[in-house]
Amino acid sequence: MPDLESEIRDMIAQIVEKDPSEVTPDAKFFEDLGMDSMMALEIMAGMEKRYKITIPEEKLTKLTTLRETVAVAREYLEKNNA
Amino acid sequence: MLNIEEIQKILPQKFPFLMLDRVLELEPGKKITALKNISINEGFFGGHFPGMPVMPGVLIIEAMAQAAIIMLYSPKEEQADSKAAYYLASVKMRFLHPLTAGDQLKIAVEPIKIISGAGLVKVKASAGDKEVASGELSFSRKNG
Repeated sequence: MPDLESEIRDMIAQIVEKDPSEVTPDAKFFEDLGMDSMMALEIMAGMEKRYKITIPEEKLTKLTTLRETVAVAREYLEKNNA
Repeated sequence: MLNIEEIQKILPQKFPFLMLDRVLELEPGKKITALKNISINEGFFGGHFPGMPVMPGVLIIEAMAQAAIIMLYSPKEEQADSKAAYYLASVKMRFLHPLTAGDQLKIAVEPIKIISGAGLVKVKASAGDKEVASGELSFSRKNG
């Protein structure tokens, strides 16, 4: 399996228009990276498309750091493979 | 299919900012194909550009956004006097071919991800067999 964290980091960096090195596991999306709720929706949609998963709307508020976002992706990838 | 009277009942935009003439195909929440006939009488051709009528790309985006509103319209959730308000949040668009008087603009919209207060949609515009523009729009939605 490809490195999920680095793939998602690159996707986030592209959406927030920052260098991937700034998207550290615990950098806060809203405070540290200047993200807004519409960008969070783009990240959610981007992960759904890339990993062929469906993430429910309630999880949007969990997308606050790279670490949390990777955990959400992993949760739904595992559900798909179960 | 929806005619112009039915379109006008759904869209909050009014003359001279109605960018669709007809809906050809509609699966609420899933897909829409809509038309705009471009005439030399369009007001914007007066200035864009004198002697060279080209439909502004931003108005193609507006037509796409209006088609998205119709696709997401739900008569159950919305009453005529309390329509949802839409705010465009971001646009990712590539323009491939200019449009001029006599062209028939065909817009196709499909959802990428729709949640209760916002959405992300995939949009495509064509005229005849030419692809005119394609991209993505995101918007927030506030129920009236």
